[in-house]
Amino acid sequence: MGNILVVAEIQKGELREASYELLTQAHAVAGAGDAGRKVRSLVIGSGVADAAAEFAGKGGGDTYLADAEGLAAYNVNGWEAAILAAAEAAEADLILLSNTPSGWDVAPRIAAALDAAFVSDCFKIEADGDGLALYRRVFNGKLDAKLSVSGAGPVVATMQPGACAAYEGTSQGATHPVEVKLDGAKAVFVEVKAAESKGVDLTKADIIVSGGRGVGDPEKFTEVIQPLADALGAAMGASRPVVDAGWLPHEYQVGSSGQVVQPKLYIACGISGAIQHLVGMKTSNFIVAINKDPDAPIFEVADIGIVADLFEVVPALTKAVQEAKGG
Amino acid sequence: MKVLVCLKQVPHSDARLDIRDDGAWIKDDGVKFEINSYDTYALEQALRVKDAGEAEVVVVSIGPDRVTQALRTALGMGADRAVHVNDPEAEGSDPLGVAKILAAVAAEESPDLILTGFMSEDGNFAAVPPMVARLQGIPSATAVVQCEISDSSVRVERELEGGAMEVVDLEMPCLIALQTGANQVRYASLKGIMQAKKKPVDAKTVADLGLAGQVGASAVKVVIEKIYRPDKGEGAEMLEGSTGEVVSQLVGKIKELGLL
Repeated sequence: MGNILVVAEIQKGELREASYELLTQAHAVAGAGDAGRKVRSLVIGSGVADAAAEFAGKGGGDTYLADAEGLAAYNVNGWEAAILAAAEAAEADLILLSNTPSGWDVAPRIAAALDAAFVSDCFKIEADGDGLALYRRVFNGKLDAKLSVSGAGPVVATMQPGACAAYEGTSQGATHPVEVKLDGAKAVFVEVKAAESKGVDLTKADIIVSGGRGVGDPEKFTEVIQPLADALGAAMGASRPVVDAGWLPHEYQVGSSGQVVQPKLYIACGISGAIQHLVGMKTSNFIVAINKDPDAPIFEVADIGIVADLFEVVPALTKAVQEAKGG
Repeated sequence: MKVLVCLKQVPHSDARLDIRDDGAWIKDDGVKFEINSYDTYALEQALRVKDAGEAEVVVVSIGPDRVTQALRTALGMGADRAVHVNDPEAEGSDPLGVAKILAAVAAEESPDLILTGFMSEDGNFAAVPPMVARLQGIPSATAVVQCEISDSSVRVERELEGGAMEVVDLEMPCLIALQTGANQVRYASLKGIMQAKKKPVDAKTVADLGLAGQVGASAVKVVIEKIYRPDKGEGAEMLEGSTGEVVSQLVGKIKELGLL
């Protein structure tokens, strides 16, 4: 059996927390088997030798270093070449990446290149005899799936950031440069545009009342959601489908591609709770979810759940809040 | 310019998800299907290329007879023709198997641009598009919310975390996987639907594509052992009763939190 290659990521000059989470997963799988699997790592970037040395000492083990000016920013061709070179040098048959914008962009290409089994966005991977059991969400978080890989070929998997704790152990490891051929790239990085400044800053609100697809149409936001927000002195938020449909501008979006919020009270109305939304609000101090679907994943992160028609509960709640404040 | 759009038909987003007896997927009898929402943005993008000048838009989908409906819808919206890989041998493919089929269709069609959705609403793998690109030896970009298409290249904006965007230039031919919200998707017009009836739908088998024995359930590298309702963990305290009772409990809780 081969080794495990962990592909680390650097963001704003620092190794990402998610990369240390990969190490937790890698060591758990390596330790569970008796095949003498070793954890190896790869750090990609420009001027990142120190980061590679740091990773090698903090659980990464022997760490490959793809260090070139052309790798300063993520580039699909450069990353693909670096990962394939390191996987070969490491004799890896399990390659782990984070399910981040870089990870999800390149990982399936690695699997195609190696004719490997591929499983994305896992929240847990376990050694299962000679094989692996991989757990992930399907149907936008409504169901979980347990998968296994068949055959002896290589496996490429991405892990959901935040799904496990960061590795805190140490390791003995050296860094080994890998050569990456960068000329002839057919995808060229141009720039990163910073997030546009928000007209609506939800991160400072004590209370957020958010609406999802279940609200039904843009007018209902004005008629049903906004009055509750006004009554509570809360900000109004929304889930992605609402913004995609053009009901509200992007600045209202709570989630991994919108604003990440942590209010004292978050009231989710008609939001089913796709992972990308949960990531943006699950650390709120207190969460109330109102949804007519009892299986909606939002109830997993909520403190209080109400299975009901939001058009009955929300106006009644608005009235009760107004009365409580008035009297 | 030739644009190939890959479409997947998935259970309707409001469909009830009942787990099959073998536990390995949902029951799909009686389930209403629709075009994967992500893919509708890819189709819209392709139709905009056509609106802007000379372009042929070909749609491809894999699946049983029900998939004809998705292809007819796409033709009604303005696509020129369709390829339907309708073969029991394709059923049960894992993402790499699906990618091999689509790459074989792409090899036959030689498009300048392949447009897909970023992921499917059922499997949520987000795996097939970059795999197709790699199998075809072309560049790809995922989670794309904007593209500017010129004669030989495409400038895309990819969504990063927290609302930042990554701008990338891709040399054609290339594959672009669109994020939801990338554009406003049109509806099929009545005229379009009438015209669609005359547009060609080319049926293909796995053997036609030279992939006999290489895809489908027998060739999977990844097996779905079971799907199940997530462990709710501690989950929420569920409030029950009349609307009045529920609301008064909720108001009590908001007071406890010191927010009322």
